Amino acid sequence: MTVEVREHQKTPLWRNATFLKWVAQIGVLVALLALFALLGSEALKNFNQSGISFGWKWLSDPTGVDIREGIDTSPDSGVRALAVGMVNTLRVGVSGIIAATVLGTLIGIGRLSKNWIVNKLSTVYIESIRNVPLLLQIFFWQAMALVLPQLATDDVGTYWFKASNKGFGLAWFRTDGGFWPWMLFVVAGILVGRAVSRSRHRIQEETGRITYPGLSWLATVIVFAAVGWFAWPILRFLAPVWHGIASFFRALPPIVYPIVGAIASIGFAVLWIRNFFESRRTPAGFGKLTDDDWFRVIFAGFSGIALAIVSFVIGGFVLTTVGGDKASVAELIGRGIANVFDWLGRSFEVTSGSPIVGSRPEVIVRGAGFVNFSEGGVVMSVPFFAIWTGVTLYTASFIAEIVRGGILAVPKGQTEAAMALGLRRSQYLRLVILPQAFRIILPPMGNQYLNLMKNTSLGIAVAFPEIVQVGTTILNQTGQSLPVVLVWMGFFVSLSLGISAIVNYYNRKMMIVER
Amino acid sequence: MTMHETTPERVLGDDIVIAEGVKKWFGDFQALKGVTTRVKEREVVVIIGPSGSGKSTFIRCLNRLEAHQEGTIIIDGTELTNDLKNIEKIRSEVGMVFQQFNLFPHLTVMDNITLAPIWVRKTPKAEAEATAMELLERVGIPEQADKYPGQLSGGQQQRVAIARSLAMKPRIMLFDEPTSALDPEMIKEVLDVMKELAASGMTMIVVTHEMGFAREVADRVMFFDYGTIVEEGTPEHFFTNPQHDRTKLFLSQIL
Repeated sequence: MTVEVREHQKTPLWRNATFLKWVAQIGVLVALLALFALLGSEALKNFNQSGISFGWKWLSDPTGVDIREGIDTSPDSGVRALAVGMVNTLRVGVSGIIAATVLGTLIGIGRLSKNWIVNKLSTVYIESIRNVPLLLQIFFWQAMALVLPQLATDDVGTYWFKASNKGFGLAWFRTDGGFWPWMLFVVAGILVGRAVSRSRHRIQEETGRITYPGLSWLATVIVFAAVGWFAWPILRFLAPVWHGIASFFRALPPIVYPIVGAIASIGFAVLWIRNFFESRRTPAGFGKLTDDDWFRVIFAGFSGIALAIVSFVIGGFVLTTVGGDKASVAELIGRGIANVFDWLGRSFEVTSGSPIVGSRPEVIVRGAGFVNFSEGGVVMSVPFFAIWTGVTLYTASFIAEIVRGGILAVPKGQTEAAMALGLRRSQYLRLVILPQAFRIILPPMGNQYLNLMKNTSLGIAVAFPEIVQVGTTILNQTGQSLPVVLVWMGFFVSLSLGISAIVNYYNRKMMIVER
Repeated sequence: MTMHETTPERVLGDDIVIAEGVKKWFGDFQALKGVTTRVKEREVVVIIGPSGSGKSTFIRCLNRLEAHQEGTIIIDGTELTNDLKNIEKIRSEVGMVFQQFNLFPHLTVMDNITLAPIWVRKTPKAEAEATAMELLERVGIPEQADKYPGQLSGGQQQRVAIARSLAMKPRIMLFDEPTSALDPEMIKEVLDVMKELAASGMTMIVVTHEMGFAREVADRVMFFDYGTIVEEGTPEHFFTNPQHDRTKLFLSQIL
């Protein structure tokens, strides 16, 4: 018996699924690029017509901006002012994320507690905080801080802790002479400690004898830190080495940096493509790549080459520095690296002082009857307090609900099995329930971190000098709205992508292996 | 008719489980209405009965997964009360195997088995792992030690769950419908492990619908209904000459 086969025909292009797919991919890409080009040129045309100049000169121009708090209160250039704003945003954001995570987790567990009071308190906290707009809460905390007593001439003196309507002063530490040489000891301690802990871990695996690998690591670091505390001046001989490295970078022709950038981006693309092929490999050899796979490979290759070109373009970009001379970005990078090593060299030349010293807040009279904190200790300003407390408590209430949901989502049988094996509550929570809950908690937790980061921009409402507030001031002075907005967007996008990358990394690590 | 096959004769010891008038309510519903029975060391007791009859609740009371409200339960000379120390002692002596296996999905088979010995018994890791490998050999899947529960078949998972309980060296094993969630072809591999365990002299209380297992292995069969033991006796008595109408009806429905 034979099967009738119609004569094999060549598929026409408009019916060829592969061909159509490629046309669609490339078409979308071209359309997207065209759209951006169109929008960009239209925007430029409109700016020109309305007489708004669009440029980046304000980055290096001196600004008259005074910033109330931060790493530099009277920055000499626009870029420096933005950097101060970014650091302030990060200060609130990162410390807020840590505090909100701890508080939210405790309250989330508290809401599951069988203890009636703990349970109800957690519920009241969550329901009251998350149902009030964040902006109102920030104003509330500002108002709470502003009714604190004023600083008067009677208050002059040093304190461990001092609350006032000028902020909260708290005793803290500051680095002193020998901090960086001492840090070298600490880093050496961490590395040696790791080797010690690994070898002890191996002994424990082989003999079953308890060898405390974690504790011995900690002990090694403490010993190194203690020795380094007194021995750090002997590292003075390293100072010329750092200066030597600095002069090496200063002598390096600037063209080296774009070349390194280009090699890195092409290398990264090649690595990605290789890993991609590797991931498609089956025991029988390379699996068949689909059209989508090929498109990804080609896109990765193009991106690598494009980035290489971009690094040359940016490297050759000539800027006017604050001093007034012109230099290419590549040259500035070289100078920056050299300056860091010079600074390291100088910090190794110090011979007196101790690495870390305590420092207490001090209230002093500044000018006629004007009383305020001086440099000592750490002072949490009222705007910082308001925005930090606001975003932390607000985000913690959402995190608490996420934690509660995550724990409840672990099947009850897991608890029963752990109890039947004789594990105590604290043990099975830590070893069985939380590791599984964490897997459920992590993705929504990442969203809350992103929200917290973005909510710090409400600092503008209480005059906290974060990136948006500083940017607004610059924008008002220079009229450069589009560049400032681009900087804002770029900053928040890269911050969010960074947080997502970290969360995704842990997410992949926590994934439960299934068939 | 299948005869009660004589495994190498197990000599029954003293009473290891004593239940006197155990009562348990879930809200208004009374799940146990005064259960009184004794189980001897090395005895294999099979509990059967319709769903909702309280048989699962009863064995869950034996290691305090459920707290009974009236009556007395004494396990190996220790009374089950609110005393956390007693509960801890009893739980580490009583192993339990669940219908849904309840393996820890985030841990490998090896870590599932060694978790309790390391944290509860404070056994050194190397020793716990050696014991775990022996147990995996015993249940027939030593090659799966490094896999995760999600990568195993149901029958393999239940055998790991048995090994996990045995790793605590329990004196009594409770089985709560261990084969009810399994595909038919996997039931045998789990029952074989349980038969071997019975032959080795383990005290076992098994809630099951596997009448073949009851006939072959049990020293005593208990029939539960409406929260009480309606009838109990040797498998021969039970399957050939049941006394109560409820028992007769139940057996006629399932056999």
